[in-house]
Amino acid sequence: MSADRIIKFELSKLNVHLPVRRLSLREALSSPKPQVVARDGSVHTFKREELEFLAGLLPEADRDKLQLPILIALEPKLGRGTARISGEAEVKVVRQVLKKKPAAGELLIYRPEVAILRRKLPTTTQYLFSW
Amino acid sequence: MSYKIAVIGDQETVTGFALAGATYAHIHTTREETLAKLSEFFASGEIGLVLITHRVVEELNPDFRQMLWAKRLIPLVLRIPDKTGYMPKFDELREIIRRTVGAEIMVRKEGG
Amino acid sequence: MATALAVSPTRMELLKLRQRVGLAQKGHDLLKEKMDALVIEFFEVLRRIQEARTKALEQLSVAHRALSMCFAVVGTLETKQVCREAKRELQMEISTRHIMGIAVPAVEVGEVERNVLARGYSIHTTSSVLDEASREFERALKLLIELSELNSSAFALARELEKTKRRVNALEYILIPRLKEALKFIMMRLDEMERENFTRLKRIKAMLEERE
Repeated sequence: MSADRIIKFELSKLNVHLPVRRLSLREALSSPKPQVVARDGSVHTFKREELEFLAGLLPEADRDKLQLPILIALEPKLGRGTARISGEAEVKVVRQVLKKKPAAGELLIYRPEVAILRRKLPTTTQYLFSW
Repeated sequence: MSYKIAVIGDQETVTGFALAGATYAHIHTTREETLAKLSEFFASGEIGLVLITHRVVEELNPDFRQMLWAKRLIPLVLRIPDKTGYMPKFDELREIIRRTVGAEIMVRKEGG
Repeated sequence: MATALAVSPTRMELLKLRQRVGLAQKGHDLLKEKMDALVIEFFEVLRRIQEARTKALEQLSVAHRALSMCFAVVGTLETKQVCREAKRELQMEISTRHIMGIAVPAVEVGEVERNVLARGYSIHTTSSVLDEASREFERALKLLIELSELNSSAFALARELEKTKRRVNALEYILIPRLKEALKFIMMRLDEMERENFTRLKRIKAMLEERE
């Protein structure tokens, strides 16, 4: 069933741009060339101005907690146009960028908010497809 | 990696960009000669950007479109108006938008 | 291509088919999410292109006016001569960055605008209109380099968007309906066979009861 094989192949390619290991904000700030290596071998560099912007949004202690890139998780079962942000520090930061009130727990955001997030943090956020 | 800049067009365009630092230049002569020069630029490996005027592109088409489609990521190619500001009615980018998003979105054309 | 899938009406097949529909549906939904994400990225690049294009084209036309002035005052031949003497070694740094796994060029260029001495031609034989023309073209060049980077990204995203859209459509309009058709067919046949079995058993039972 070659159609199935094509589908499975496409699915396996969806997240191949994601890094093998993420970098904490602290690690990224202290590195002269802050970058991560993706599973397909490509190298992705973080822009310094974004890192500094993020640092300004968090207390110093949280710099180890914030893992970069921040993952915008797209899951069909959330419904089309809805994305999830996980991670305590990540959620804190995204809430501030989107000018939302601080709250605990995972965050669900909608397409226009995804667009804003991507515009403000183009190199420190990435899409994650999950199912 | 470092790359240089090439320009193809009429005398004014070529002179202008040469003054600005473009390394490779070709003033358009005949279709064959210019296509050959373009191939040379694409194959060079040293050139990162080729500036070429819309008028020349019109003369080189459809070969030009074919070359664009077949080329690698580098050099980047940018079509520009010459001193008359001439730009064709057919806007490639707008065509692509219409095709992929399936709706006509107004791309404001200003200047030139 | 046949319009229906040929499958034998067994429970095994039913199970396999259900899995295939699940897989196709999952693939379809995820690729649709990918398409949505690509559209967001694409429109962001388009927005930046509109701004960059307006600025660049305006500057280019300013540059051409300055050059025309230069040709008029200094002469075409002299200008071209200066061109030959000038330093024409502008370098741009191109690296690749990735948006959602798609390779797009990232361009960095140092100072494009140079001061008179850096341009390489001898300053006392040339006039200020020539410097003016050089400077305006340097500015135009810088803006055009930025524009070319955005353009390449837009085309790369558009290509990926088209590819993804085609896959989504193939799943939605061809594969999934076909699989569902086959599923319906098998379920109908299995139902039928079960009813036939049931009536046959009833008849046999009736026959046996008659005998007694």
